[in-house]
Amino acid sequence: MTDRHAEARYIILKDVQKGYRIGSEAVPIFVNLNLEIPRGDFVAIMGPSGSGKSTLLNMLAGVESPDAGEINIGNARLDRMGETARSAWRAHHMGIVFQFYNLLPMLNAAENVELPLLLKPISARERRIRAGKVLDLVGLAGREKQYPALMSGGQQQRVGIARAIAADPDLLLCDEPTGDLDRKSADDVLDMLRLLNQELGKTIVMVTHDPQAALHARRTLHLDKGRFIEEKRDA
Amino acid sequence: MNLLHLARRNAWRKPLRTLLLIFCVTVAFLIYGLTASFLNGAQGSAGASDDLLGVMNAAGRTQPLPMAYMTRIASEPGVASVAYMTRLRGYVNVEKNVVAISAVEPGLIAKVNGKELGLTQELVSALGQARDRVLVGRALAEAQGWSVGQRITVTAFQTARKDGSRDWRFEVAGIFEGESANTDTYFMLASYDFINAARARGEDTVDAFVVQPADRVSPGVLAARIDALFANSPTPTRTQSEKQFLEAFLRQYADVGLIINLVVSAAFVTLLMIVINTMVFAVRERTFEIGVLKTLGFSRGRILTLVLGETLFIFAVGGTLGLILAKMAAVLAGPALGLVFSMAVLAKAVLFIVVLGLITGLMPAINAMRTPITTAFKAR
Repeated sequence: MTDRHAEARYIILKDVQKGYRIGSEAVPIFVNLNLEIPRGDFVAIMGPSGSGKSTLLNMLAGVESPDAGEINIGNARLDRMGETARSAWRAHHMGIVFQFYNLLPMLNAAENVELPLLLKPISARERRIRAGKVLDLVGLAGREKQYPALMSGGQQQRVGIARAIAADPDLLLCDEPTGDLDRKSADDVLDMLRLLNQELGKTIVMVTHDPQAALHARRTLHLDKGRFIEEKRDA
Repeated sequence: MNLLHLARRNAWRKPLRTLLLIFCVTVAFLIYGLTASFLNGAQGSAGASDDLLGVMNAAGRTQPLPMAYMTRIASEPGVASVAYMTRLRGYVNVEKNVVAISAVEPGLIAKVNGKELGLTQELVSALGQARDRVLVGRALAEAQGWSVGQRITVTAFQTARKDGSRDWRFEVAGIFEGESANTDTYFMLASYDFINAARARGEDTVDAFVVQPADRVSPGVLAARIDALFANSPTPTRTQSEKQFLEAFLRQYADVGLIINLVVSAAFVTLLMIVINTMVFAVRERTFEIGVLKTLGFSRGRILTLVLGETLFIFAVGGTLGLILAKMAAVLAGPALGLVFSMAVLAKAVLFIVVLGLITGLMPAINAMRTPITTAFKAR
């Protein structure tokens, strides 16, 4: 990562409150959560189950809205956006990598990668070319026509990463990206994420249970009972 | 890949289910294509003229009119020419093989309606060469396998001869083609003089006068004037266009249009229920993937378009197959069954395909569009 990438504050969460209800009882998850992530950072978020990691990732993706507080990502104020605006923001500024890849089974690798490109004003030919380049980048050149069912978990996750970066987003959100992979495949995927961070300057927020996975990030935030309780900067 | 491609891939995800849905749509549009072609064809009234007027007894089209009306109608301003005719219905060999005979004066009917029926001078002359000759319409001739010179016997349902027999023997003098495929040619023309002289009852009466209005004379206005002529007579008239007459003629047996519309509506409603139900389940199975697409940035509108595209694809394929089969049936059996698959039928069918495709897709599409991402992710 260059210093230029780290200069600007990119993600700012200010006094974010979020809770859910069980019957008539309100259960808070976050009470005045504050977070700043610079552009180009690679942050791992760890924490026990129920600590709010997924809810935080959902809010960063604009999938869930906070009950109160501000969520700023780049120039976008997510907490004030309607659903349509958030969809458009996701399409242009964010890529997401899921734990279970979530590839569409009836589409081949290239077609899965093309999905986010359908939302861009580019020709079908350009979509095909870009999908090919991205698959090449993640080491899957020649497997464009292969269907997910015929791929290993590691290969599917690479397609998932290719799909996430196909539209060239600034922000990459990863939800347990190695949770379903063996160690070797997990390390390959994590190396790839680090490459994307270091070479392409992507800002990455990765939720993980795996301490070894977190080691690949520049810093690790530990979330517990709705608060960040520990922060470790990469040396 | 584009959004349509994605919709198509979704549709083919379970090929058997999709093929069955397409089969349903194919059958529905085959039924529609055939029934609409029937209504539009020779058994219907699409080929009938709105300009030719038929003058009939106001008490009912089976009641006769005096031949003496001919002179008064002909002398009415705005009347270009008049012909008269008596309809005789009967069967050939078996009672369900029904045929109709229009007993006319050949020269007059050729003048009034000759162009539409395709009555050449040669045909008119051939009919006039002997009293018991008939000209047979192409559709009827093909259906019965008749040819020129053949002798045929028609057993009338009601019109008896003076000798008590209801068997009428004719010689086929020629076959008239009709001006277009829409023209009704499933009947024959006989000489009025022969029928009139031989029938036991109703001598010198006719069933209808056929009136050709003069140029720039409104058929509707002329019809009203003709009816006014006989309004205070013992036998008042009812004057209608040929099209109205044919529609009414078909309705004397049954409201064919209504029956067909009910059959088609029942087919479409059943189809709608099957497709809606299947599509709701098909889309529900994919709730999780819809959540993934939304997370990637697919807006509610795009999700709506995607699901609607899928049902439209099923309707487009099934509907096209159904219409192709209907067209083939119309080409192969059209003359015998009176099927005319016209551009109007096609245009209406295409409209139905689009509208039904959208209607059936709407409920699952709205469900998919409204499902929040977090709810969708719980569906796995």
